[in-house]
Amino acid sequence: MDEFQEILQDFLVESFELIEQLDQDLVELESRPDDLDLLNRIFRVAHTIKGASSFLNFDVLTHLTHHMENLLNMARHGDLVIDADVMDVILESIDLMKALLVRIRDSGEDSGLEVNPCVARLDAVANGTSLGETVPAPAAAPSTPAPEPKPAVAAVSEEEPDYSGMSDAEVEAEIERLIAVRQAEDAAKRANSAKSSTPSAEEEPDYSGMSDEEVEAEIERLIAVRQAEDAAKRSNKAQEPEPVAPAASAPVPVTPPAAPKSEPAPVAKAAPAPKKVEAKDDGENRGGSAVEQTIRVDVKRLDHLMNLIGELVLGKNRLIKINDDVEERYEGEAFLEELNQVVSIVSLVTTDLQIAVMKTRMLPIGKVFNKFPRMIRDLSRELNKKIELEITGEETELDKSIVEEIGDPLVHIIRNSCDHGIETPEVRLAAGKEEGGTIQLKAYHEGNHIVIQIIDDGKGLDADMLKSKSIEKNIITEKEADTMSEKEAFGLIFRPGFSTAAQVTSVSGRGVGMDVVKTNIEKLNGMIDIDSEVGQGTSMKLKIPLTLAIIQALLVGVQEEYYAIPLASVLETVRISKDEIYTVESRSVMRLRDEVLSLVHIGDIFEVERVFDNSEHAYVVVLGLAESKIGLIVDSLVGQEEIVIKSLGEYLKGIEGIAGATIRGDGGVTLIVDVAALMQMAKSVKSTVGQESAEAKGRGGAKTSPTDYCVMIVDDSKTDRTIMRKALEPMGITLVEATDGVEALNILKQGDHNFDGMLVDIEMPRMDGYTLAAEIKKYNKYKNLPLIAVTSRTGKADRMRGVESGMVEYITKPYSPEYLMNVVKRNIKFNEGL
Amino acid sequence: MSEKLQQIINKQNKALSGDDIKIDEVIQLVGFIVGDEEFSVPILSIQEIIKPISWTRVPQTPEYILGVFNLRGSVIPLIDLRSRFGLETQKHTEETRFIVMKNNDDVAGFVIDRLTEAIRLPKKDVGPAPDTVNEEASMIDGVGKQADRIITILKVGKLLERNF
Repeated sequence: MDEFQEILQDFLVESFELIEQLDQDLVELESRPDDLDLLNRIFRVAHTIKGASSFLNFDVLTHLTHHMENLLNMARHGDLVIDADVMDVILESIDLMKALLVRIRDSGEDSGLEVNPCVARLDAVANGTSLGETVPAPAAAPSTPAPEPKPAVAAVSEEEPDYSGMSDAEVEAEIERLIAVRQAEDAAKRANSAKSSTPSAEEEPDYSGMSDEEVEAEIERLIAVRQAEDAAKRSNKAQEPEPVAPAASAPVPVTPPAAPKSEPAPVAKAAPAPKKVEAKDDGENRGGSAVEQTIRVDVKRLDHLMNLIGELVLGKNRLIKINDDVEERYEGEAFLEELNQVVSIVSLVTTDLQIAVMKTRMLPIGKVFNKFPRMIRDLSRELNKKIELEITGEETELDKSIVEEIGDPLVHIIRNSCDHGIETPEVRLAAGKEEGGTIQLKAYHEGNHIVIQIIDDGKGLDADMLKSKSIEKNIITEKEADTMSEKEAFGLIFRPGFSTAAQVTSVSGRGVGMDVVKTNIEKLNGMIDIDSEVGQGTSMKLKIPLTLAIIQALLVGVQEEYYAIPLASVLETVRISKDEIYTVESRSVMRLRDEVLSLVHIGDIFEVERVFDNSEHAYVVVLGLAESKIGLIVDSLVGQEEIVIKSLGEYLKGIEGIAGATIRGDGGVTLIVDVAALMQMAKSVKSTVGQESAEAKGRGGAKTSPTDYCVMIVDDSKTDRTIMRKALEPMGITLVEATDGVEALNILKQGDHNFDGMLVDIEMPRMDGYTLAAEIKKYNKYKNLPLIAVTSRTGKADRMRGVESGMVEYITKPYSPEYLMNVVKRNIKFNEGL
Repeated sequence: MSEKLQQIINKQNKALSGDDIKIDEVIQLVGFIVGDEEFSVPILSIQEIIKPISWTRVPQTPEYILGVFNLRGSVIPLIDLRSRFGLETQKHTEETRFIVMKNNDDVAGFVIDRLTEAIRLPKKDVGPAPDTVNEEASMIDGVGKQADRIITILKVGKLLERNF
């Protein structure tokens, strides 16, 4: 069973690979119907799949591929001209074949899909054309694949293998095979001597309707098949069923093994043994593709490797950080040089290793592009347009996970270009353009990104039309439409529910497709840029980071927190002054060159308590994702760092606005901003830019008793603190003591008390009164907190410095308790009535 | 030869099953204080106990989730048990510890006031959780009785369950 599973797996992998190439070849074939190489290649795919599937007992698939093979074989011999109609049938059968393979992959069996109509069409095409032409007599045989012995014999004799080159085992296998074939033929001959079976009946022998003789024949036949299979298995266990070299075919119109039940297994499986070398040579000559040394690796292993590299990158970051610290501390020491060298080697190797592993995960984007020629062909027939597809840069590589995600968006964009972009031939001619439209599909690298460009020379996007359609569908208001730039209007096509098509067709018009594009591109941290000119065409540019696991990030600071923003989403950073922020309909905006950019403060998104007063200037990080833009206000820009995305784990997953976390060089955890979610959140967050003192205003609160007032005493001398405490205690207010500036600042930061005033000594260890005052004033919340200097310094310069640092009163020691009390009362607005 | 082998295997099996019985009879717990009460969790659910290190706040989470911290390269959530149990938060002291607990694949760190001791408790001394319906009670697995005190045994699975 396991062995069977293994073979099945190999079969599926191989078949899907073959089919991928097949689509491309078929479309090419239509333009070059007489290209024999191409035909042979296609024929071989059908043949290979047929052979393998019959070996694996997938009867339905065998049945279908067998008929395909017939048809292709006729074309190969020039008995059939491939035109568009024939191609339609072939393509249909290939789709069906794909569906069957998918079914086999998912459920392990190939039943449940109706192949007979398609088979009938295949036959009809084969018959129709072959009958209409002068064809050698036996040409009709392929269309009636009854188990006739003649073609079978032909098939065998035609493939007379070269026995001299065989090993003993192979010879033995071959002998067994021949016996089996002979037996099967005899059986078939006996069973069919009297009657001519119809094409559809031949597949599933109806045992009930058989005579004794027939049943016996059938049993014999089955035994023969089993023997033949065994023989084939033995001789071919590890070998993949190579296609029979077509060049060897005799002038007889060979429809390879015509008796489907008995023949395919032995022929397809056993024949390769002697033929293999030849077939291979053939392949080399034809394709000219050098034999690459490859090895299949489970993606999971690569993922694991990538994770390990991620850890290594984090370790490297830490090492660099430590190296910097050490360098600072032990400047000029001899060992530094050595350490430096080691660190740079480790970091160099890590980077190389990372690139190397990334490369192993890279796939050429051609894997995705391959399916488009076929799609364009189908679409242009369906829409009655003439559309050419030009593909460039299909060898451009990008990460496997991205290749998998990029397919769907591209399908939607190209469908859109075909349906809405390219006009019908009449319209094009009327507009003075060539009759056929062109869609260009380009891929190229740009820095750490891959750019995929889809350019059509169709009618282009009309910004005004987009706006009016959007208003019609209630996607935007008229007011919004008025302020929209052309680019923003183009962005409307990504809104869910938007569609310009007057009616829903099978191709488009549901208003879903472009929304899918946006969502998928956002998922990849990519950007979309649309350019369009009415009448000239549309260009859509998708910019996608090369890899997802290890990314470059911009680190920003807000208050005392740091966040990492994927650099792929950062367009630019600007430093602006507060005056440049305008408020429009309670939203903050700024003017960035000729655009109006809406702004949001990172602190509002992530609920950061804003205690520091931001200075007159702000940093704005302009974020771009898919087609939208936003300005994120941060307190500081820290720099760029390579980060590894780690999940927050099951417990904290799915937190809005956070894509994950990373570990920084200092060992701390920094959260990674989810730019797509942030843009969503920005819409609902109430802007507090420019109204930061709101909290300070509310600070006073309602005071209902003297204990609600709170004053801090900061003095390094216990005696002085006691004197002040004694002087203020009669008021009944809450008093908190601190022994120096640092401690006072910590108490403030903790926020356990809401202070109404502070008495500050100037001369203190660790942090003096002036510095303390300056520090406190940095906090937005305490901007208006009355600071009263209590000091023995009486010089005028001292007083001036006090005022400069933000002290409101200056009390010189010694003082009377009453005086101190009065000053405090006045400054904290003490309500005597309480 | 094979007989001998069989004997050895039998012997080992016996020894193993004997151990099993012993483990079954006694449960090992780690006791700690949160607020005024002593709690405990099964020793096997504890990955490690570390001294407090710095953590990073995570927005849009309940107050009892302090944030995340870096445990040798893993990002792990940090939960304050005081505020999880509805107690006043307190500044961390010298005795504060992070207990990193795991249940299957779920891992989180919990801030506790201080550790007490590792406890071996005969199974018969563990009673069921008191019959209350409030949410806190559902975190209690049972109550361990010792000569001089009562220890609440917490359900680690419940503690590690996201409830927001």
